[in-house]
Amino acid sequence: MKNKYIEIKNLERVYQPSSKVKVDALRGLNISIKEGEMVSVVGSSGSGKSTLLNILGGLDWDYRGEIIVDGKDIREYDENYYRRYIVGTIFQTFYLIPTLNVEENILLPLKFGKKMSKKETHERLEKLLDAVGLADRRDHMPKELSGGQAQRVAIARALIDQPKIVLADEPTGNLDSKTGAQILDLLNKLNKEEKTTMIVVTHDMKIADKTERKIKLVDGRNV
Amino acid sequence: MFKYAIDLVFRRKLRTFLTSLGILIAVMLMSFILFGMSDLESLIVGQFTEQFKPNELTVGTMDMTSMMGGALSAPTKGEVEQEEMILNSEAVEKIENIEGVETVNRIVSIRGLDIYLEDDDVPYPRGFPMATDISGDSAMIGDLLEGDDLSLDGDEVYVSDFVSKFYEFSNEEMLGKKIILKSSTTSVFSAPSKSNIAKEYELTIVGVTDSGNSALFIGLDKGLEIAADLGGYDSKEEFLDTVGYTQLLLSTDIDKTSEIEDYIVDELGFSVLSTETLMEFVSTITGGLTVALILFGSISALVASIGIINTMIMSIYEQTKEIGIIKAIGSSNIQVLIIFLIQSAMIGLIGGLLGLGVTYILMKVIDPFIVDLLIEQGFTVNNFFNFRFDYAIYITLGSILIGILAGLYPAYKASRLDPVKALRHD
Repeated sequence: MKNKYIEIKNLERVYQPSSKVKVDALRGLNISIKEGEMVSVVGSSGSGKSTLLNILGGLDWDYRGEIIVDGKDIREYDENYYRRYIVGTIFQTFYLIPTLNVEENILLPLKFGKKMSKKETHERLEKLLDAVGLADRRDHMPKELSGGQAQRVAIARALIDQPKIVLADEPTGNLDSKTGAQILDLLNKLNKEEKTTMIVVTHDMKIADKTERKIKLVDGRNV
Repeated sequence: MFKYAIDLVFRRKLRTFLTSLGILIAVMLMSFILFGMSDLESLIVGQFTEQFKPNELTVGTMDMTSMMGGALSAPTKGEVEQEEMILNSEAVEKIENIEGVETVNRIVSIRGLDIYLEDDDVPYPRGFPMATDISGDSAMIGDLLEGDDLSLDGDEVYVSDFVSKFYEFSNEEMLGKKIILKSSTTSVFSAPSKSNIAKEYELTIVGVTDSGNSALFIGLDKGLEIAADLGGYDSKEEFLDTVGYTQLLLSTDIDKTSEIEDYIVDELGFSVLSTETLMEFVSTITGGLTVALILFGSISALVASIGIINTMIMSIYEQTKEIGIIKAIGSSNIQVLIIFLIQSAMIGLIGGLLGLGVTYILMKVIDPFIVDLLIEQGFTVNNFFNFRFDYAIYITLGSILIGILAGLYPAYKASRLDPVKALRHD
């Protein structure tokens, strides 16, 4: 296990929506995360949680500072490769494609880049469907699923490509506390089974308590 | 990826269908051109070449192409002066003596007469008598459908089968019946005068021809006699010296046809209609028609493209969040571009196939009517539209291409969407 699997050094992100307005979303963030660790990033609204997640998720590259993943600056990766194989993202509102069924939603990332054979894909799909407990709902459409089930589909989708890091942005934000706790348990279980480094962004301390370590953000800095 | 793109197309079925209607209209216009116009030209050319042989020249006193309504060149002073020329016996003799001229047939069109069938009060509404010394089996008169008298003497007359149909007799029944020509008081060609009021000429039908709208043919002698009498001239000679023949039909040595044409126009000052000029005229008309239809087709293709662009931009607006999702899970800009190009190509394909389908059905439905209309106009034709699979494939490919071209800008826009902003989009 690498102690400094993810290293964030002096991360800054400034938004300038207009010439007069300047927002310092991140002001010199320094974080280290171990390989296979499950951490939570907590903070109030506007503390920079989502900005951090967008940058780590490879959606926002307009930052200053350094992010090293597995010994390599993420700027050295191809953007699409990074989003496809290094990270998997889970969103608060699930973001499933409404016209695709459970199975198709889970397999969607593979449509944009395949590194698995048909057999491997099948085995991976079955394993994940079992893990998230949706094997009997593989043909269901998203509108036929409960919030918890939809989020479990999103988790399976994030993991299908065997990413090294899973980012979860308020994964329980749209769920009741019981379902939210179940989702966190699932993430914990998958963290152990898949040995994937997980970063869960949340403002819910009960959820954060279920992770190995909490990273608290205040005004764009970790405290 | 392809399945996902297709899913997006059919997520909004009505909108996809309505957008593809634009392509449908463009495809219909293009199909009518490709399946109909090419045959129309060959049909008209075929019909003319049946009536006009390449070695034949028609000599007249005015520009005959402008008479047909489509002047190929601007009028000149010389042409106006030509109108003073008369095709009299002297002119005929000069033309007969040109080297390479084999035969000269004379034609006189007699205006100002109403055509009646005996025992019937209704005048035949179309055409006028033409007096000629052309024999009954010539291309100009057409085939004799009934009767075997190949030369018109005295009071003999050929009528076209249109006349038989008009009076509801069979061609055979028409033989032996009388045609009465009565001087018309409503003629726009000659001022009414005392001398031509209430004149009547009786003729006997000896043949029925397939000459269509050329209703009556009478012998040259008889025709001149009627024309002179009707115009108040003392003799046929006086008529010829004053008015002259309307047209001369020359049969020439094929090697010298165009030389003779130039000589008659330049040296004698008459106008000449050759098969060659006629074909140019026909192809000018059909060419013009084709250009007009292509123009309409192109305009509707353009309008259809704007429709596709609009739909695609709407679709991108609606799917902004989804674009954000697929980008977040690893799709590249190029892949988003391809997804949207597949969508616009699909709209093009649907429009193209629907357009071809509707055109095919319409062609089957209206073809018999067009064929009837053409047969009525004297054309020999079995079918007007000719559905060709190779053209259908080109049209389909063209529709897909229009879809792709129209989708380029929206697809590019979609591919450049910032995933963070896209995911925040409501």
